[in-house]
Amino acid sequence: MNKKAIVSLLVLSMVLVACGDTTDEAAVEEVVEEAALTTLEEVQARGFLKCGVSTGATGFTEVGDDGSYSGFDVDYCYAVAAAVFGDYSKVEFKQLTAAERFTALSAGEIDVLIRNTTWTQSRDTELGNDFGPTTYFDGQQLMGRVSDGLSSSSTLADIDGLRVCTNAGTTTEKNITEGAGLVGATIELVTVEAFAEAIDKFIAGECDIVTTDGSGLVGRRAVNDALNDWAIFPQSPISKEPLGPTYRSNDSQWADIINWTVYATVIADEYGVTRANIDSVDYDANPELGRLFGKNDGELQTKMGLSADAYYNVVKQIGNYDEIFSRNLNPLGLYREGGANARWTEGGLVYAPPAR
Amino acid sequence: MIDLIKKNAKSLQESLFSSVGSSVLTIATTYLVINFFRGMLGFAMTSDKDWLAVLNNMQLYMVQAYPEEDFIRVWLSVGLTFVLAGLSIGIWRNEERVKSSQIFNSFFKGGLGVLFFTIIAPTNASFMGNDGSVITEEVLSMDTRLGLLIPVIIFCAIFFSIRFTNLNFTVNSSDMVFFYLFLPVALIWFVKLPTIQLDQNNERIIPEPLMPIANTTKIPWTVIFVAFLASYFIGMYIKNIKSIKSAISLSWFLLPLLIFSWIFKKPQIEMSVVLGSDLPIFGFFLLWGFLVITFVNNSLFKKYYSTYLGVTFLLTIVGVFSGLPMLAKTCLLLIALFSVVVPAVSTSSQGKRSLLIVWAVALVTLTFLLRGGASDTGIVVPGSSIFGGFSLTWLLAIFGTYVSFPLGVLLALGRNSKLPIIRIVCTGIIELTRSVPYITWLFFASVTLAVFLPAGVEFNLIVRVLMVTAFFSGAYFAENIRGGLQSIPKGQYEAADAIGMSPFQKISLIIMPQALRAVIPTLVSSAITAFKDSSLVTIIGLFDFLTIGKTVIGNQSIPVNFVGHDRENLIFVAIVYWIFTFTLSRRSMKVEKKLGLGER
Repeated sequence: MNKKAIVSLLVLSMVLVACGDTTDEAAVEEVVEEAALTTLEEVQARGFLKCGVSTGATGFTEVGDDGSYSGFDVDYCYAVAAAVFGDYSKVEFKQLTAAERFTALSAGEIDVLIRNTTWTQSRDTELGNDFGPTTYFDGQQLMGRVSDGLSSSSTLADIDGLRVCTNAGTTTEKNITEGAGLVGATIELVTVEAFAEAIDKFIAGECDIVTTDGSGLVGRRAVNDALNDWAIFPQSPISKEPLGPTYRSNDSQWADIINWTVYATVIADEYGVTRANIDSVDYDANPELGRLFGKNDGELQTKMGLSADAYYNVVKQIGNYDEIFSRNLNPLGLYREGGANARWTEGGLVYAPPAR
Repeated sequence: MIDLIKKNAKSLQESLFSSVGSSVLTIATTYLVINFFRGMLGFAMTSDKDWLAVLNNMQLYMVQAYPEEDFIRVWLSVGLTFVLAGLSIGIWRNEERVKSSQIFNSFFKGGLGVLFFTIIAPTNASFMGNDGSVITEEVLSMDTRLGLLIPVIIFCAIFFSIRFTNLNFTVNSSDMVFFYLFLPVALIWFVKLPTIQLDQNNERIIPEPLMPIANTTKIPWTVIFVAFLASYFIGMYIKNIKSIKSAISLSWFLLPLLIFSWIFKKPQIEMSVVLGSDLPIFGFFLLWGFLVITFVNNSLFKKYYSTYLGVTFLLTIVGVFSGLPMLAKTCLLLIALFSVVVPAVSTSSQGKRSLLIVWAVALVTLTFLLRGGASDTGIVVPGSSIFGGFSLTWLLAIFGTYVSFPLGVLLALGRNSKLPIIRIVCTGIIELTRSVPYITWLFFASVTLAVFLPAGVEFNLIVRVLMVTAFFSGAYFAENIRGGLQSIPKGQYEAADAIGMSPFQKISLIIMPQALRAVIPTLVSSAITAFKDSSLVTIIGLFDFLTIGKTVIGNQSIPVNFVGHDRENLIFVAIVYWIFTFTLSRRSMKVEKKLGLGER
């Protein structure tokens, strides 16, 4: 055999390799066809939930010294996993910046976005997302010093002529400019990249007022204000920031699963069912709980594609709304009483439709 | 002695106070520098700083959430790197001697540095209280300062006066590596650190006797040190064995691949499969390759060589479509291609030996990659991307450089190629990659690449970032190397042609060594840039070393409460980055000196 033969053999083998590749491609195409699954099927086949969370928000998404996750938003990711798998730990968290969160969701990199994201009309309608029930009612507030003559009953008009620090490029910046303009207060706006820097500037006296969502302000006041000199105002926030889970808008089964995970924690709170006492609930006396937890009749859950005891697992493993809230946010000085996050029976907005 | 002082004083006067202008400049900059360091030390020492925020998060800094039961993989990777380093240092041990006076002098200089900082450290420092008022407190009392100064002065004095004694010896400069490694390893056995514990009310308490460093850190480092020492001596012992150098170089090249699959993949290996199918296949093909290498130039075999080749290719074709195990299929393909190359190289006994090594390494790599690297089961990190922190920074930097450097060489050669298609393609790749910012490429990796890929084909985000990084720094390497190529006079090419070298020999033996040698400084600075640029991955949600310090730790509220303590962490991160880049640039300066760069 001469050189030509060897070369032709080589070419032949390359063609063969290429053929091998085409068979692979066919396999890939089959996968594509299979990929037209519902989100629930996809998540179940994968074996874990991909949950988009913040890169760091005190009380909402925190990473501990061993790399473990905790926080209010994180607990709702755990709750969804508990509902789908019966095991809360089957979550993979993706930390997303504000800029990439919606792209990641629409590209399918995450199944659900629970990243203190404000529900707005444009985000709901234009980006192909839908929003679940609000888990935390937040609102933008301002923080100033009592020694500067401000108090918790101050209003936007009182900040006339003061320097206001905030992080740039967010709705926060727009809200404060709009709000101050409406009451005729002239302010000097100092914008920084991250809220932590804004607080540092505030502490250093480079600005008189710092503004962001109320939860962030209360959290930092609890940590840094040793002298009780910091006042948060106005009483009713200058903007509405309803935070809750976000999912793709083309899959209503998945949407229902997320929504009812939130509602299940709220209903459990209404009945006072906690992680500790869930096993001693009298289901005959409380038929709604029986239906929700799959004890009397689990049809409500099985029709959604979940196991009958899906929401039992949520409350058993994660707890009810009040537990999630107080576990993560009470240490920061954020309480439910008297605010929008109180039970609807106590004047708040946390309300769930009945489980029937 | 007096002469020495006179000489120093004179040079001091000449360099710092030669004219009125320079005297003013000297005094002004000295004042600025001293104040800068005073401010920094004062900042670090005030009581509102919580350095536990750094200490308590070391695991997070190093590996983020990598599962603890799999730490052994990380340790093995680090250990293997050290063993290879030990072997290489032993084999390429240089015979340069370092004089004792030089060593003592560097001790003396180090002591002087500490002395300087102890003297200029502020007694009182102030910080901004929460109410915006300035709080001033004593951070370094005179007693403490004296307690520090006296031992430091004694230390300096000893090493200064030693040069006037007869103590004179020389140390091999390669042996000095142990000293540098021994110090930190010895230190971790003695240092005790405060750790955070929580009482019943979840309040922070610091237990009084400080805790020693955990055994899980001490023991692996000690083992690694011992292994390093052993491999150094083995390296010295085997340095004269032929082709060991190329084997070590090859191992360096394969190491990242190994580490990569080691850290990411956790194959479910069944012993029955390994013994029943993998080992026999492996042994069979090893033997096959060995036989081909040995007998290929035998006259009888030569006669039937083409028939053999034809049969092998036929077997491969049949094998690929049959139900053979994957390993056997790939081995068949490999032996078929290998058989084509063998006769040309396997002419001498030396060629045969190196061919055998190449064959064995290729088979081992293939088996490993198929069984380990391509396994479906990876390390499962509960709820997080596989890892972050310093390991991620290191992985991005090292793997990025490893992949991008050869890529850069190829692109540079391609850009200088005479074949228009190759030239256009290479130029296109280089210009496309370089004309888009790195951050844009990162977003491309994070957001767009996932959409481009067919559904079902999914790469880990870290892998996608590595792909992009390899191309990006590859393009920069290519341009640097092209600069080196252009500095080679035309005569070198012509001379190589004149003595009948093949194009491959010409490039690898004549052109590349000279071209690379000319651009070492720029290559090193590119590598350092790649190391530092790895911190940009923070914008696509990967948690590199910097991000952990900047965003993660400052959010830990319950119960340890490090909220607002990000400055301490940023200083720590900066120091670590500085140590690594500084070491890298000093090393490269030594290499340049050794190669006599810029001296001709």
